[in-house]
Amino acid sequence: MSIRDKIPNLPEIHVESNLNLLLRRAKENRTVDIEEYETTGGYSALKKALKKLTPEDIVVLVEESTLRGRGGAGFPTGRKWRFALMNPPPRYLVCNADESEPGTFKDRIIIERDPHLLLEGMIIAGYALGAEEGYIYIRGEYQAGYLILENAIKEAKERGYLGKNIMGTDFSFDIKVYRGAGAYICGEETALLESLEGKRGHPRLRPPYPAQSGLYGKPTVVNNVETLSNIPIIVTYEAYFMNIGPSGFYGPKLFPVSGKVKKPGVYEATMDITLGELIEMAGGVKNGKKIKAVFAGALGIHSAEELDMPMDYSPKGFGGTGTTIVLDEDDCIVDALVVITNFFHHESCGKCTPCRIGTYEQYNILKKLKEGRATEKDVQYLKHLSQNIPANSICGLGLSAPNAVADALRKFPEEIQAHLDRTCKVCF
Amino acid sequence: MRYRFLNSEIIKKIQFYRERFPLKEQVIIPALHEIQNLYRDIPEGAVEELSDYLSVPLSDIEGIVSFYDMFRHRKNAKNHIRICRNLPCHLSGYKNLLDMIKEKTGANIGKNSPDKKWYIELVECIGSCGIAPAFLINDDLYDGSKIKSEEDLEKILSRYE
Ligand SMILES: Cc1cc2nc3c(=O)[nH]c(=O)nc-3n(C[C@H](O)[C@H](O)[C@H](O)COP(=O)(O)O)c2cc1C
Ligand code: SF4
Ligand code: FES
Repeated sequence: MSIRDKIPNLPEIHVESNLNLLLRRAKENRTVDIEEYETTGGYSALKKALKKLTPEDIVVLVEESTLRGRGGAGFPTGRKWRFALMNPPPRYLVCNADESEPGTFKDRIIIERDPHLLLEGMIIAGYALGAEEGYIYIRGEYQAGYLILENAIKEAKERGYLGKNIMGTDFSFDIKVYRGAGAYICGEETALLESLEGKRGHPRLRPPYPAQSGLYGKPTVVNNVETLSNIPIIVTYEAYFMNIGPSGFYGPKLFPVSGKVKKPGVYEATMDITLGELIEMAGGVKNGKKIKAVFAGALGIHSAEELDMPMDYSPKGFGGTGTTIVLDEDDCIVDALVVITNFFHHESCGKCTPCRIGTYEQYNILKKLKEGRATEKDVQYLKHLSQNIPANSICGLGLSAPNAVADALRKFPEEIQAHLDRTCKVCF
Repeated sequence: MRYRFLNSEIIKKIQFYRERFPLKEQVIIPALHEIQNLYRDIPEGAVEELSDYLSVPLSDIEGIVSFYDMFRHRKNAKNHIRICRNLPCHLSGYKNLLDMIKEKTGANIGKNSPDKKWYIELVECIGSCGIAPAFLINDDLYDGSKIKSEEDLEKILSRYE
């Protein structure tokens, strides 16, 4: 009996890849068990890491790979690891599987379909960091993913890939899974650590950074699921990893594409793909309509003129999780902003007043705008908020909450005006 | 001490988590999940018992119940439908789906159906935007775009007692 027989219903999410790296085993809607994982080359990177490489070798490989964190901020993974290594043990590794940003559904594909890829990445990372324990913080709504991970950990322990003296070496490592309970803010790494310690998820002031004082006050590396799943690929490919994708942004990347495209789903590509090419890969816009806008990166808005933007972490790139939400000519920007600002207002943890109150004010003005009750003065206030919320917030939620609003004010002034004049065809 | 809500099955799970994690506070969220699994929501009495059993202040546990969206106090409906309202699901017309579900179940947002069989909640992105509009019934995930008729919906709802 496979684990899938015992877990909640998981409908088909479309997945496509022409790289076959992260999604090599994940194209079908089933869970690869340890048997199949091993016979398709799985755990050979771990074997190589433990038998042929020192922890330092692995850190150097990751540094040279230029791998950047796939959780949103794009911070170089090797640098983060090096920073943690400057602090004395015990050190912890935490995998961020909270995945709650609107439009983001990539990590779940790895977790549900190829969980051992993530485990193998974590075990290698644990070895490189001199950690004895790793945690996976998974969002509460991913009940199936939680059970699949628990099962995979059990399988890995039975085969000696986890636990005491892994593969006959001195290295011992354990992985524990912890479920969240529905709070977007717990994806923010310091809020995650609070939640993992059994508290409300309020972000911590930095410094100290988690790499200095994280879980239980000890040096901790927090990495995204997709980031860690790249580690076995880096250890396997070594310098050849630098053949995958454009300079400085090497490696495969997952792009969850949703909204008005023909084939919503998760796409694996190199980061030289442009926004327009990615949308083409997802079948183009539904029903032959034109693109109006794309919500991408940290929920910023891109217009139809920006489809040549590269999906990388350069200043002109998307810089985020890879999330891509497509709006067509029949959609209204203000209507979409009502949804997004309501989300940020709902998810603000309330610790900083500008974020707590500002996100609420944003939402209220957008609602007024959509209903045709807003004035020019409201729009001026919206501009003020979009500068002042980020300037006075301690975490990334407050920093990115007005992104979409600020972009809309700059790129779609005519849509804003159409709501002041009550001429928007969608809303009036 | 005899507990009314923390039965032996839940105590066993709590002990399991207590061994897994070093801090006793780390048992609170997993224990609340177990309680909610069994009772479908969180009875006030269970919070008091958990506070007593773990020796952590009641306010710490109440703080967690109110902070995290998945936890809810007594509603007593048998099945919990969570419909996503975030952008991709909004663009895919979750409102039509919501209307259909309201009509078929007799429940409403934040309200039980008269027969207490259903409870509906609107939620933020549930990481399933590739199958928008997405919804959950208890822990089961569904692709709302596949629901084209009343019969399609009925087929799904009839799986639940
Ligand atoms: C509000 C907020 C939510 C976040 N949610 C997630 C998330 O769900 N998953 C994730 O990996 N990173 C998330 N992040 C980013 C993390 O704080 C952190 O940068 C990341 O886990 C680091 O991993 P990486 O370096 O591998 O990307 C979020 C950040 C913010 C500000
Ligand atoms: S910026 Fe917002 S979400 Fe972040 S800590 Fe402050 S109030 Fe909380
Ligand atoms: S927006 Fe509905 S599942 Fe993501």
